[in-house]
Amino acid sequence: MSDRITAAARRESLALLAPGIAVLLLAFLLPVAVILVTSVRDPAGGLTAAHFAKFFVDDYYLRIAWRTLRLALAITAVTVIFGLPLAWIMVRAGPRLRFAIMLMVILPLMTSVVIRTFGWLVVLGNGGLLARLGEFLGLDGRALVLMHTETGVVIAMAQVLLPFMVLTLLGVLRAIPRDLEEAARTMGAGFWATMRLVVLPLAVPGIVSGSLIVFALSISSFITPSLVGGVRLPVLASSIYQSIGGSFDWPFAAAQSVLLLAATLAVIIPYTRLARGRT
Amino acid sequence: MTAPLSARLLGGLIVIVTGLVMLVPLAVVVAASFSESAFLVFPPRGFSLRWYGEILGSEAYLSAAWTSLRIAVVVTLLAVAIGTPAAIALSRPATPWREPLAGLFLSPLVLPTLIFGIGLLMTASLFFGGPGIGGLIIGHLVICVPYVIRTVTAVLSRADPRLEEAARCMGAGLWQKYWHVILPQCRTGIAAGAFFAFNISFDDAVVALFLRAPGVETLPIRIYSQLEFSPDPGVAAVSTLMILVSVLLVLLIDRAVGLDRMA
Amino acid sequence: MAELKIEGVAKTFGQTRVLHDIDVTVPDGGFLSLLGPSGCGKTTLMRIVAGLEVPSAGRVLIGGRDVTDLAPEARNIALMFQSYALMPHLTVAENVRFPLRMRRQGSRAEQEARVAEALELVQLSALAGRMPRQLSGGQQQRVALARAIVARPDVLLLDEPLSNLDARLREDMQVELIELHRRLKLTTVFVTHDQDEALSLSDRVAVMQGGRIEQEDAPDALYDRPATRFVAEFIGGANVIELAPPGALGVSGARLVLPPGAAPEGARAVALRQEDLALTADSAGADYALPVKIETRIFLGARARYRLRAGGLVLLAMVPRGALAQADVATHVVWSAQAMRFLSR
Repeated sequence: MSDRITAAARRESLALLAPGIAVLLLAFLLPVAVILVTSVRDPAGGLTAAHFAKFFVDDYYLRIAWRTLRLALAITAVTVIFGLPLAWIMVRAGPRLRFAIMLMVILPLMTSVVIRTFGWLVVLGNGGLLARLGEFLGLDGRALVLMHTETGVVIAMAQVLLPFMVLTLLGVLRAIPRDLEEAARTMGAGFWATMRLVVLPLAVPGIVSGSLIVFALSISSFITPSLVGGVRLPVLASSIYQSIGGSFDWPFAAAQSVLLLAATLAVIIPYTRLARGRT
Repeated sequence: MTAPLSARLLGGLIVIVTGLVMLVPLAVVVAASFSESAFLVFPPRGFSLRWYGEILGSEAYLSAAWTSLRIAVVVTLLAVAIGTPAAIALSRPATPWREPLAGLFLSPLVLPTLIFGIGLLMTASLFFGGPGIGGLIIGHLVICVPYVIRTVTAVLSRADPRLEEAARCMGAGLWQKYWHVILPQCRTGIAAGAFFAFNISFDDAVVALFLRAPGVETLPIRIYSQLEFSPDPGVAAVSTLMILVSVLLVLLIDRAVGLDRMA
Repeated sequence: MAELKIEGVAKTFGQTRVLHDIDVTVPDGGFLSLLGPSGCGKTTLMRIVAGLEVPSAGRVLIGGRDVTDLAPEARNIALMFQSYALMPHLTVAENVRFPLRMRRQGSRAEQEARVAEALELVQLSALAGRMPRQLSGGQQQRVALARAIVARPDVLLLDEPLSNLDARLREDMQVELIELHRRLKLTTVFVTHDQDEALSLSDRVAVMQGGRIEQEDAPDALYDRPATRFVAEFIGGANVIELAPPGALGVSGARLVLPPGAAPEGARAVALRQEDLALTADSAGADYALPVKIETRIFLGARARYRLRAGGLVLLAMVPRGALAQADVATHVVWSAQAMRFLSR
C-alpha cells in the first residue's frame, strides 16, 4: 500500500525531471564528453596524450597557466578585502543603505560582460577617465593607463566577481548573532578586537566558500581579460579561444578545456561540500 | 552598536570606493553615448542624441537586436517550462537521487560557461553540420535553467509542504493539484527566474562567441566586434539601452523575490 | 564593586519615547531587579548601563564616575545575555577567560587560575574543554554566569538569564544566584518579567511600566503596599476595584461602595489580594462582606481560584485546599479592614 504510494510519487518526480535531464544530457554531458574524447584523439582515431603534452612542454603555455592562477589569486584577495567589510555593513545597516549597496553590487553582474568591459576600456584606456583624472591632479597620466596591465584586469574582474563574494559572506555574517558582538564589547573588547576575535573567526566558512567560487569563476573568464589585458596578457581561457578561432587546433583547445575544467572542479567540489554543510 | 569614528570613516570609504568601481564603468558608457563627436573621448564633448538616431537606423544593429530578442524569448519560455517542474521535483524529499541531481542541475552556475560554448561547438560540428541558432538556444538554456530552478526552489522552500497533502485530502486530482496548489505557490519564483533567464540570454557573449554562425549575430557579439575594431559612441548608445534593460530586470527581480534572496 | 547611580536617564528611538526620566540607585553590593512586562523599557535601561545604548538625556555613574559617554568596553561591567551569547568558536574555558584577556587582568597563569575558580563556582570544572554547542541549556547558562563574574565587574547586569530554562532548573538557579550574590557581593541589576524571580532574588525591585518606574521598594513592601494600580495588578494579581462615592456597603455598577470614613480622602480605588478574600456562607463578624455568586472554580492543586460576581463587579479569590468544601457552598465574600490598600491613582 505505502509502497504503491511511494512508487507513484517517484514516477511523478521523474516525469517532472525528465525534460531537464534531457537538456542536461544533450547540452551538458554530451558536449563535455565530446571535449574529453577530442582531447585524447589523434588524427588517425587512436588515443594520444600529445595535445596535453603540447601544453606542458611549452614555456609559453606554462606562463599562461601561471598568469591565470596569479590573476585569479589577486582577484580573490581583492574581493575578500572589499567584500568582507561591505557584507558586514550590509548586515548591520538599515534597509535602505542595504538595498543601495545590494543594487550597486548586483548591477554590474546583471549587465552584459561586453558592456562592462567596454566601460573599463573607456576608464582605463589611453586618454581614458583615469588618465585624464591623473593629468588633472598633476600626475603622469600615462602611469594611470591600466589597459594591457594585470592591475587593470584584476580591477575589472573584481568588479564583476565581487557580488559572488558579498552574497556568500552575507549569508554567513547574517547568521552571527548580534549578541556575540555586544557581549564581546561588554567584556572589554574594543571594536577592532571584536572584529578580529569574534566576527572574523565566525566568518571564515564564508570567506573560504566565497574565495573558492570567485577563484573558479576567475580562471575561466576570458572576455574581460582578453579585451582589457589584450594579446600581450593571454590567460588560459583566451588561449583556448585562440586555439579554436585563430589556429583552428581543436584537439589542443579541447585539451586546454579539460585542464580548465579539472582545475575548476578541484575548487568547486570542496565549495559544494561547504555549502551543503551550512544548510 | 557603537563603532568608533575610525571604523565609520573606513566603512564609508569602502562603500564609496566600491560604489565608484562598480558603477563608474557603466556611467561612462552612458555618458559617452550622448557625445557629439565621432570619436570616443573623455570627457564627452557636447550633448546630442545623434548616436541613438544612428543606431536606430542601422540595419546591422537592428537585426542583431531582433536576433537577440527572439533567442532570449524562446530561451526564457523553455527555461521556465523545463526549470519549474524540475524545481518542484527537487523540492520533494521523496524524489530519488535528489542531492546529486540538484548538484548536477545547478552546476552550470559554477562551471566555466566557456566549456559549454566549446562543447556545443564541437558537438554541433560533429553531429549537426555546424553551429546555428538552435545550438545557441540550447547553450543558453543550460546556463539559464539553473536560475529558474534556484528561484523556484527558494520560493518553494518557504511553502508549507502539507498544502499538497491537504489538497489531495480535499479531493484534488493530479492536474488540479498542480494547477490550483503548486503552481500558484511558485509564481514569484517563476517570475524572478524568467527575468534572470531573459537577462542572461540577452546579455550572453561567451556562448554566442563560440557558436557564431553566418546570419546569427546577437547584440553582445555585434558590440564585441565593434570593441575589437573601432569603438564609437554608437556602441555606447546600444550599451546604454542594454543597461537600461538590465536595470529594469533587476528591479523586477527585486519586486518578485527581493534581491537579498539571490544569495 | 561599586555603587550604580542612574540620574534622569531618558531615551527616545525616533519618535517614540521608551524611557522617561529614570532615577535609581543601587548601593554597592546591592541587588536590584527591574521588573515589568515586555516593552516597558527595562532592557533598554540595562543596555544604557552597559553602554550598548546611548541615553538621550541623563547620566550613569558607576562608583561615582560618570560613564555616560564611555564605550561598553571601557566600563568595568559584565552583562549576561538572555541568549547567553557564548562564543561558538571558543571552548568553555576560553569563553570564561575572554573578559580577563580583553581587560589584560593578570598573567596568563593567573587568568587561568581565575577561570578555574569561576568554573568551580558554577560546578563546571569538568567541562572546561568542551565547545558551547556540546552543552545543555542549563550548562551554557552556567558558563555565561561564570564568564560574567570572572572579572569581578563593578556592576553585574543579568538580562532575563533564567527565561530559557525549564521550571525546575530555574528554581535551582535562583537558589544558586542568591548564594553567589551572598558570596561575591557584586552590585547586581537583574532584568525580568517574572515577578516571582524578582521578589525572591532581590533586595530592591523597581517595577517598570511605559518607560517609567512605577514603584521602587523592598519586595515585601511592594507586595504589601503597592503604590499604583499597575503595581497592585502586576504583583500578585490583586483585584483593583474602583470606588463609588461613600454610602451603604454594596456595589454600584462595577464600582464598590464603602461606608463613609472607610476610605481615606482622595482614594480612587482599592486593591484586594486574591488570598485576602475568604468565601463563607456565614458572614457574621467579618469587617466587610458582600453577597456573591460563584461563576467558576479553577483547581490549582494546593489552592483553587474562584471567579465571583457581585452585580457588575467581578472578583478573583484564592482559596486554600482545606477551605474548598466550605467555599463551594459560600454565599458571601468577606475581607478584613487591614486587607484593603487604597490607591489614589
